[in-house]
Amino acid sequence: MEIELSLSGGITVVGIRGSVDGLTADDLMRILSDRVSEGAVRLVADCSALDYTSSAGLRSLLGAVKLARQHGGDLRLAAIQPPVLRVLDLSGFTGILKYYPDVETAVVSFAEPA
Amino acid sequence: MSPPVRPKGEYPSAKREGTPASTATVVHAGTLENLPRFLHFIETVCARIEADADIKYALHLAIEEVCTNLIVHGYRGGPAGPIEIAVHDESEKVTIVIRDHAPPFDPARAPSPDLTSDVEHRPTGGLGWHLVKKMMDEVDYVPGTPSGNVLTLVKRKF
Repeated sequence: MEIELSLSGGITVVGIRGSVDGLTADDLMRILSDRVSEGAVRLVADCSALDYTSSAGLRSLLGAVKLARQHGGDLRLAAIQPPVLRVLDLSGFTGILKYYPDVETAVVSFAEPA
Repeated sequence: MSPPVRPKGEYPSAKREGTPASTATVVHAGTLENLPRFLHFIETVCARIEADADIKYALHLAIEEVCTNLIVHGYRGGPAGPIEIAVHDESEKVTIVIRDHAPPFDPARAPSPDLTSDVEHRPTGGLGWHLVKKMMDEVDYVPGTPSGNVLTLVKRKF
């Protein structure tokens, strides 16, 4: 897993590349929770290069969404590839997380009334 | 993430030239330190059998979830016993056989996950067995055989 952080219109974009599994999920959670504790509570996860997640990765993603929302923000997903989207769907995540076809749309969504 | 060095105890596939079926087996102690070795093993096998993307994802996820459960729950509180994984590749399906010596845990008894609560009330865990059952086509478990508990997972190719 590789993580790349950037800012777009006041939104923190977190590019997640590769696999989020039992070996890397804790690192992802730490990176995301660090951002939230620094005040960056509006985040977009760019999943365009995310190839794989197991239940460990789902735990981190949901944990980060909960944390961001508790702080008045959100973690929204963008550009989820079909294999990962299937796992999110099987896990009942597609009904509770906000996800968008691309990063730009996800970033803009924060400007819209919730 | 760079692949780990070839682990001790892993031995190459028994695949024979010109035959459609092949078997690869690996045995390691069930510790978190060895989780990368189990994952590296299944990646190597998937490359060798030229598994397509769907099958590769399912096999990788199954190995990760089952090994993690054995390591974190099955062998918790005692010395880590072995986890043996055999992958049989045939023309129409891939079969994974996982043997362990932990206290038996029948995946059929794994609690159903909460798939409907809102974010605030949704538990962050409990999805591992659910995903294995959804992504593999057959799950069979025989506890307490002379060679340990035997979990058999089948992924059909078509």
